[in-house]
Amino acid sequence: MSSSSVEEIPEMCKDLFTQDGVLLKMSNGRPNNDPNAVGMLCLVENPNGTKSIEWRPNDLITIDSDTQDQEWAVVNTIGRRQRTLSGNMTSDYASARARIIRIPLEELKFFRSSRDNIQIQFSSKQGVWQHTFHCQHGNAEAFIANLRNHVITAKTRRNRNTYMVVETNAEAQVLNKSFAELDIFSENTTDVVWNLVSNFTERPYATTMEAFSKLTDIVYYGNEVTHERRHREQPTPEDISDLTNALDENRIETRKSDEYEVVTIESILPPRPHIHRNSPLSTEKWDGLRDSEGRITEVDGVKQLIFRGGIAHTIRGVVWKYLLDYYPWNITYSGIKNLTKKKTQEYYSMKLQWRSMTAGQESRFSEYRDRKSLVEKDVNRTDRTHPFFAGDNNHNLVVLQDILMTYVMYNFDLGYVQGMSDILAPLLMLLVNEVDTFWCFVGFMEKISTNFDMDQAGMKQQLVNLQQLLTFTCPELAKHLDSKDSGNMYFCFRWLLVWFKREFSYPDIMRLWEVLWTGLPCRNFHLLICVAILDDQKDLLISKDYGFTEILKHVNELSMCLDIDRILSTAEGIYHQTISAPHLSDNIRLILGIPTVSRPDGEYPEPEQNTEAQNGTQTDGNVKSDEADLEEVMYQIGLDMNF
Amino acid sequence: MAKTYDCLFKLLLIGDSGVGKTSILFRFSEDAFNISFISTIGIDFKIRTIDLDGKKVKLQIWDTAGQERFRTITTAYYRGSMGIMLVYDVTNEKSFENIKNWIRNIEENASADVEKMILGNKCDLDAKRQVSKERGEQLAVEYQIKFVETSAKDSLNVEYAFYTLARDIKAKMEKKQEASNPPGGRSGAHQLKANEQQRKPTSWLSRCSVL
Ligand SMILES: Nc1nc2c(ncn2[C@@H]2O[C@H](COP(=O)(O)OP(=O)(O)OP(=O)(O)O)[C@@H](O)[C@H]2O)c(=O)[nH]1
Ligand SMILES: [Mg+2]
Repeated sequence: MSSSSVEEIPEMCKDLFTQDGVLLKMSNGRPNNDPNAVGMLCLVENPNGTKSIEWRPNDLITIDSDTQDQEWAVVNTIGRRQRTLSGNMTSDYASARARIIRIPLEELKFFRSSRDNIQIQFSSKQGVWQHTFHCQHGNAEAFIANLRNHVITAKTRRNRNTYMVVETNAEAQVLNKSFAELDIFSENTTDVVWNLVSNFTERPYATTMEAFSKLTDIVYYGNEVTHERRHREQPTPEDISDLTNALDENRIETRKSDEYEVVTIESILPPRPHIHRNSPLSTEKWDGLRDSEGRITEVDGVKQLIFRGGIAHTIRGVVWKYLLDYYPWNITYSGIKNLTKKKTQEYYSMKLQWRSMTAGQESRFSEYRDRKSLVEKDVNRTDRTHPFFAGDNNHNLVVLQDILMTYVMYNFDLGYVQGMSDILAPLLMLLVNEVDTFWCFVGFMEKISTNFDMDQAGMKQQLVNLQQLLTFTCPELAKHLDSKDSGNMYFCFRWLLVWFKREFSYPDIMRLWEVLWTGLPCRNFHLLICVAILDDQKDLLISKDYGFTEILKHVNELSMCLDIDRILSTAEGIYHQTISAPHLSDNIRLILGIPTVSRPDGEYPEPEQNTEAQNGTQTDGNVKSDEADLEEVMYQIGLDMNF
Repeated sequence: MAKTYDCLFKLLLIGDSGVGKTSILFRFSEDAFNISFISTIGIDFKIRTIDLDGKKVKLQIWDTAGQERFRTITTAYYRGSMGIMLVYDVTNEKSFENIKNWIRNIEENASADVEKMILGNKCDLDAKRQVSKERGEQLAVEYQIKFVETSAKDSLNVEYAFYTLARDIKAKMEKKQEASNPPGGRSGAHQLKANEQQRKPTSWLSRCSVL
C-alpha cells in the first residue's frame, strides 16, 4: 500500500495505540506526584513482530521527537523492574529512557481496570500486580479494549474487571484453529447463567450485558460443544399446545376488527414459539446430498439445513459458492472445472483493465481516481486488528484492494462505496483465493446492491419497512421510538448497510450471513433480525426512558455484545408470531414476501416501492398460504428440523 | 439525575472520508490515537465536559461518515448543532477543495447562526503535504471562519480547536442573551436539563443559558 495515508517515519518500534496522560503509580499504590511520572502508555510492535506494552515518561517523549532512538530494543529487561521514583529525578535523556517500562505481551498474564476506569494494572504472575498506572482522563477502558485485540483473554471468575491472558494473538493464527484446549470455558456456562440470575435484581442492565459478552465468548471458543447440546433439544409438546391455545383465544378476540391500523395492544400477536437451533450442516451430510456427478438436487432441503444451523466451518468455503450464486446448484464436478477456468479468465481480464492504466490516463480520469482513493483509504482501515489483516505490508490487504478495484471495473456505475470493504473482508478471509472471493463478493453485492444506491433509496425503504415491522410486532417500542424522534430508525443504519458486520465477531457474522443468504423463511428476514435485537432491548430502552441520543449510543454500543444464536431464534420466533397473527396486514405481507389477500374493492393499495427489486433475498417456493395456520407452521418447523 | 454541567453544546465534525474526523474526536475525548481505526458507518458521538471560564460545558460531539452518498442520512443529524468543525487533510488536495461543498451543505442543513471552524489535519505528515498552510488561511479569510492546522496523531492543536469553538459559541450566546434580556432580568432564564430532548424549530440559543 504505497500510497497509505498514514506515513510512518521508519523506526524500530511502531506504536499501535497510544494513551496520553497516564501516571505511573508508586509501588505502594499511591499516585505519584512527581511530574516526571506522567507519560504515555502504548502498545508497540517490535521489529520482530512481537508486541509490548510500554510506558514512556513525558520528558522522554519531548526529547524523543528530535532524536531517532535506535536502542529501544535494548530495554526489554525493564519489564519486571519495579521502580520507586525519587522526587528529584533529573529529566535528562538517559535517565528518562531508563524509566521506560516495558512489558512484553508474551509475559503478560493478568490485567485489569478499576471500576471507575482510572486505574490499569498489569501482572506477569498471579497474586501480585506489578505495574499500576493511573489514567488521568479516566478512560482506562479504551486501552484495555485495544489490548484485548492483541491477546486472547478470559475474564476471571472472581473479579469481572480482571482479564487472564490465555494466549497472545499471534499473527499467523487463523480462525479455524482448534480451540479444543480452551474447553475450560464450556464448564463455566452454568456459572454465567447463575450469576446472571443472582445479579439480575441488583444490576439488571449491567448483569445482562456482562452475561451476553461472556456467552459470546463461549460460543466462540466452544462452538462444537454448544452446537451439540443445541442439537439434542427439541421443542416440547407443551410449547406447541400453549401456542395453539393462546392463538385460538386471540383469534376470537380480534376477528371483529381486521383493520390493520389497530395494533395498539401487544397481546394481539400470538405468543412467540421457542425456536431451537440445530447443529451446522456437516461435511458428511453435504457429501451425502451430492449425486454421483456432484450436483445438489435437494436445494430447498439444503437451504433449510443451513437456515436451521448454519454450515460447519470446514465446508463453508465450498457451500458459500453456491449460496452466493457463483456455482449453480446443479453444477457437476467437471462443470466446476470449466466454470472456474472461465471465471478466472474473466476476472483477470477485468483486473488488467485497471492494472494497465497509465499514470497519464489516470490523471485525466477523475472518477476513476476518486474511486481508487476511496478504496485505498478504506482498505487501510478494514479489520486491521484481526490477525488476518494486521501488520504492515500484509499481502491480504493487497488482495482486498485488488478485488475492490476489479469490482469497480466490473460495476463502474456503482463503483466503490464505503461498507464494501467490510462486506468483502470475511469472504476473503474464508475463501483466500482471489478469484473465488471476487465472484462470491459479486453474488453478495447482488443481494444487497440497493444498500449502496447513490440516493440511498434502498436504505431508506428498508428503514421504513423496519419501522413498520416493529410497529406490528413490538408496538410499545415503536411508540417509544416515535416519541423520541427516532421513528426514522436511522440508528439501525450501520446494521443494515453492512448486514451487521460491525456488530459481530468473525465466526458469528459468518453464521448470520449464511443463514440470511438462504432467503428463508421469508423475504427481508434481516429486518426481523433487527426487530429481534431491538425486542431484546425493549424493556431497557423504555424503562430508562432513553431519548434520541441515548438510543443511538445504546444501539451503537451493542456491537460485539450480541448473542447470535439467541437472536436467530428470536427472529424466527417473531416471524412465526407475525405470519400467524390473525390481523396480519397486506403491508406486512408485502414486506415479508407473502401473497396478499385480494381485496375486491382495492382498499389496500400497493405500496409505493416495488419490494421485489429492493431486496434479492427472496426465494421461490417459500410462500405460505394466506390463512397461515399455526398448526401448519409448527408442522413445517418440525419437518424442517427432521430433514 | 443530577446535573453535572451548566451547559450542553452540540458540535459536529464533517469533511471528506479519511481526513481524520474520528481520529480527531478520539484524540479529544480519550487523548489517544489508534492506527488501526475503522471507517465510520452511520453516525456516533462522544462526550467530554470541559471547563470554560468557570462553567462546566458538556460537549456532545457528533462524528459522521464522510462519503457523499451517506449525506442524506447524516445531514439529519445537523439539526441543533451549535458548532461545526470542517476538516480537510493537508495531504489531500481534493479534501481541501471539497471544504467549499461542505460549507454549502451546512448552509442548507444547519441553522444559520452555527459557529464554524476549519481544521487542516495530518499536519504531522510534512513530506506528503499537498495543501500549504497559507492556502488554508486564505480560505478561512474568504469565508471568515477561524482556521488551525491539527494533528490527531501528534496531539497538535486538537484541544485548542475545540476550546476555541466552544468559547466562540459561548460568547455568541452571551451576546444574544444580553440583547434579549435586560440587565438584571435573568432570573427567568430557561435552565437546561440533562435529559432535555426537545427539538423545537426555534434556534438553539433559546434552549441554553449561561448564567
Ligand atoms: N499521520 C496522521 N494520520 C492521521 C491523522 N489523523 C488521522 N490519521 C489517519 O488517517 C486515516 C483516516 O482517519 P479517520 O479518523 O478514520 O478518518 P475519518 O475522517 O473519520 O474518515 P470517515 O470515517 O471515512 O469519514 C486513518 O488511517 C488515521 O490513522 C493525523 O493527524 N496524522
Ligand atoms: Mg470516521
